[in-house]
Amino acid sequence: METNSSSGSLLNKRLQKELMSMQREPSPGVSINSHTLHGNSLSQWIIDMEGAEGTLYEGEKFQLLFKFSSKYPFDSPEVTFVGPNIPVNPHVYSNGHICLSILTEDWSPALSVQAVCLSIVSMLSSCKEKKRPPDNTLYVKTCSKNPKKTKWWYHDDSV
Amino acid sequence: MKVKIKKWTTVATWKWLANDDNCGICRMPFESCCPDCRLPGDGCPLVWGKCSHCFHMHCIVKWIQSQQAQQQCPMCRQTWNFKE
Repeated sequence: METNSSSGSLLNKRLQKELMSMQREPSPGVSINSHTLHGNSLSQWIIDMEGAEGTLYEGEKFQLLFKFSSKYPFDSPEVTFVGPNIPVNPHVYSNGHICLSILTEDWSPALSVQAVCLSIVSMLSSCKEKKRPPDNTLYVKTCSKNPKKTKWWYHDDSV
Repeated sequence: MKVKIKKWTTVATWKWLANDDNCGICRMPFESCCPDCRLPGDGCPLVWGKCSHCFHMHCIVKWIQSQQAQQQCPMCRQTWNFKE
């Protein structure tokens, strides 16, 4: 795990700590898919997520892909829904991109994978009607593969 | 009775007086150093913001330098100012 670059040591040490704390004290409905942590690299994680009880997503299962750049935690992780079930939600595009301000301009290094997951669970839980964002078709056709390159326009402060 | 002390040995411990156990940026204990340093102490000091949140100096400086527009405290999002 030793690396020469100083940012690498912060990245790895922090991700190790986050991994341990998520395994030791998991949040309900959020677990790390350990099969996807291969080799020594912690730069990509898959999180298994379950829709919370009593919400429109109860009984559904989702997967989130986290990608960490070498600047994490100063740089936010790239987070998208992946896999066969992308939640139908006004803040989630059908390609898995999520419109959530803490993933770009409101990111703070005090946040963590667990904090991001909790925000996403609560974003889903507050949904009143399952539908795609109004500009889904155009966005999915024209966006970059990396959602962090999208200039998001956050328009709903209620979630 | 008179006692003559011929020799004594003292041991001291030190501790940062921070309002938290771990740095909110690197998650390392304040009693140890930031991930870039090897030894805790004056070489890897703690600093406080006016908002009263505390970080390893090396960690908060990296965060401040990575911010283009507003420089905010990672914990409370108030504008970051070093406490004097």
